[in-house]
Amino acid sequence: MSSENGTSDKRGPWYLIFGLAIGIGLGLLIAWAFIPVTYVNTSPRSLRADFKDSYRVLIASAYTANGDLGRAQARLDLLGDEDPAAALADQALLLADVGDPEGAAFSLAALAGALGVTVDLQLPGDDAAGDPDSTGSGRPTATRRPTVTPTPLFTSTPRPTRTSTPTPGAAFALVFQEEICNLDLAPGLLQIEVRDAASQPVAGVEILITWEGHEERIFTGLKPELGNGYADFDMDPELVYSLQFADGGPPTANLSASLCTVDGESFWGGLRLVFSQP
Amino acid sequence: MNRWIKFLLAILVGLTLGLVYGWAVSPVEYVDTSPDTLREDYRADYVLMVAEIHHHDHDLDQAARRLAMLGSQPPVQVAAAALDYGLSAGYPPLDIALLQELATDLQAWDPSAPGGQP
Repeated sequence: MSSENGTSDKRGPWYLIFGLAIGIGLGLLIAWAFIPVTYVNTSPRSLRADFKDSYRVLIASAYTANGDLGRAQARLDLLGDEDPAAALADQALLLADVGDPEGAAFSLAALAGALGVTVDLQLPGDDAAGDPDSTGSGRPTATRRPTVTPTPLFTSTPRPTRTSTPTPGAAFALVFQEEICNLDLAPGLLQIEVRDAASQPVAGVEILITWEGHEERIFTGLKPELGNGYADFDMDPELVYSLQFADGGPPTANLSASLCTVDGESFWGGLRLVFSQP
Repeated sequence: MNRWIKFLLAILVGLTLGLVYGWAVSPVEYVDTSPDTLREDYRADYVLMVAEIHHHDHDLDQAARRLAMLGSQPPVQVAAAALDYGLSAGYPPLDIALLQELATDLQAWDPSAPGGQP
């Protein structure tokens, strides 16, 4: 016993340090090589440089489409560029240098311009590029405007309002209504079909349903398996509802579940409404 | 206590320290990720951007190409997933309508047809 203790004392705690080192080594091997942290919920900031370029083009194109500068700025912030406007301008110039194969340079330049960096784009083949009176090398340039107030260089026409109705036209009117007595359907199911003037189903139509101080908005087309113009709503059989299209038109009031009797069995049925443009 | 037990305990302690350091303190950093790894809300916003552009130019081929960046799922499924997220996250109705428009159009999209039209 005394000799074993003596041996242990001689060896000291090195075996513990050695064990700890082996453990740390194994742990790091597992954590970094065999089962590393997997990133499936990354942010745009971590994207590879070429994907960031694509993302920037997407942001600029979306800005061209909707004219919403605030939204574009918020999206650019996600990329973590030190100077988002300069990054846009640089990318626009690079694309212009290679002939802008994607046609995105002007969108990028427009957004850069809205953020205060003027981009003088001259694509190969432009008349100005070959102008002997022009100074410099003829390459496109970007300059930061001294003004604080950003003004778009290339004005995309912002839409003052966006309608959710894909087919603008006259208001939808109720053309058909029937009670549905079907035990397979939910009690009080309100089924709505919306068609355009050519009797084609219309998706994305916003419908406002109100009852006793409450309201709910539904859209057609969310159940495409039932038709692009289809929308439904579960009515409480005890309540009376009113329906109106968000883009106008007269309300359809007094909508409620109907009491059905089939083979002596009573149950709450639903309603089917068909709306169409005249 | 037996030295071997102490030795094994030391390995376990070291293993724990190594895992904590490797997973929590200094995990493997991914700095060059691709769009298919984006978090769900960023994916939905990506699709919303595509929907905004599509509403403007109605270029379904281009929209589908852009959605393909988000993974190997069919574009219509990517759009539908974004629509589901938008509905659950309380996106404004106009954004929902745009996503709905994109999803609906992609349902009828035929990649083999010129311009992607059915």
